[in-house]
Amino acid sequence: MSTASVAVTGLGLVSAAGVGVDDSWRTICAGVSMARRDPALAGLPVDISCTVPGFSPATHVGRRSSLIHDRFVQLTIAAAREAVTSAGLDPRTWDGARVGVVIGCGLGGVSTWERQHRRMLESGPESVSALLIPMLVPNMVAGHLGMEFHATGPNFVTATACASGATAIGTARQLLRDDVCDIVLTGGGEAGVSPLIVTGFAQMGALSKRLDEPATASRPFDVDRDGFVIGEGSGILVMERETDARARGAQVLALVAGYGATADAHHMTAPDPAGVSVRHALRTALADAGVGPGDVGHVNAHGTSTPLNDAAEAAALQDVLGPGPAVTSVKGVVGHSLGAAGAIEAVCTVLAIRDGLVPPTANVTVQDPEIELDVVAEEPRHQRIDVAVSDSFGFGGQNAVLVLTAP
Amino acid sequence: MASMYDTLVNLLVDRFEVDRAEIRPGITFEDLEMDSLFVVELLVVVQTELKVKIDEDSASPRDTIERAAEMIEAQIAAASSAP
Repeated sequence: MSTASVAVTGLGLVSAAGVGVDDSWRTICAGVSMARRDPALAGLPVDISCTVPGFSPATHVGRRSSLIHDRFVQLTIAAAREAVTSAGLDPRTWDGARVGVVIGCGLGGVSTWERQHRRMLESGPESVSALLIPMLVPNMVAGHLGMEFHATGPNFVTATACASGATAIGTARQLLRDDVCDIVLTGGGEAGVSPLIVTGFAQMGALSKRLDEPATASRPFDVDRDGFVIGEGSGILVMERETDARARGAQVLALVAGYGATADAHHMTAPDPAGVSVRHALRTALADAGVGPGDVGHVNAHGTSTPLNDAAEAAALQDVLGPGPAVTSVKGVVGHSLGAAGAIEAVCTVLAIRDGLVPPTANVTVQDPEIELDVVAEEPRHQRIDVAVSDSFGFGGQNAVLVLTAP
Repeated sequence: MASMYDTLVNLLVDRFEVDRAEIRPGITFEDLEMDSLFVVELLVVVQTELKVKIDEDSASPRDTIERAAEMIEAQIAAASSAP
């Protein structure tokens, strides 16, 4: 196994904080929650969400996009175009066989599924779209990126629920280290704000019920947190071996220095209270990166704003990393975009390294006294970041930890 | 009453994002960048909106819009004359 250094050379971001890296990052650094009452969810037990504002499939993707793409694909194509452009790459000239696509997605085209199911019940099977299947299967997001960019190397989707995006990035890094690819487009895309999916999460008790004050609903690490707010979006990274990136004079924004992946093997949805596997994932990622716990200056936490996750995550972070790192959860601003979350957060971690800036966690009014982390709240914090951790955890007990370092 | 050709043109514009200016009787679905999957989807829309069932094997991306309109008309006529 090669230990080649892997660089991030391009970024794309579409989130509730905006379309594009600059808009999203500015809003995330302002620390203002984007959660709103959602008219599309009216009448449901929970009707708040963090959806991407001002996203137009026709403008941001293409004239026929709504005919052939579910929203999770649309958001991902938009982010991927931004990422490839920002990397200074031209897909017309690259060797497509050496370009891979690895995208995390937890759900797939659930809005299409719901719409077509309703149509079948109301108007009969003959009315069901012939495009249902290609629009709903989760792997189609990677397929469309392959078509869009003529990337004919390994092409697949990783599904580890809310860790999917981080799993994709860790897996993509290995394709570069193993010399299977020269370039990988990786990250995650998800659009799960559909009536059935939101209701499913609500029925589990996973969502915040602060319906009358949605802007305060997502409050990771706050003592009064009561659940997450569902979001959507896509984060895409262009990754190359550092030597290749340097040779072509590309910008190197950060290095993907370490990756750790484990499973709780404990419960379908609840984190293992002992957090043995989360700790193991953190330690594995640090060892992979060749850094010690004391080197970590910043953690972009999973921080969903659920009572259980934040307590278990904080305990593991405190135990493995100590109280030192400046911790944030961008879910306070953009909500929880499920399979895209790990990728959106990896993009934010790269931006934090680039700018020397830790965005604040929205809505931390009173930090949970049981949580002894240095949670950045209210204002962004300026600090040099050499080593950062982005951790993600999925239902099913899947844990994925990335260590990103300054180039 | 609009001709079947006009009806089909409207479906292509409204439901398939085809530019009206591009459409003429002799143009094929392929020319309008509609592949076989789009043609099958068009048949679903035709069945839902016009209540006419066209077998998917009888239409192809190489058909012209005019021929497709004729096929739909013929199917309507056949259905109405059936016992």
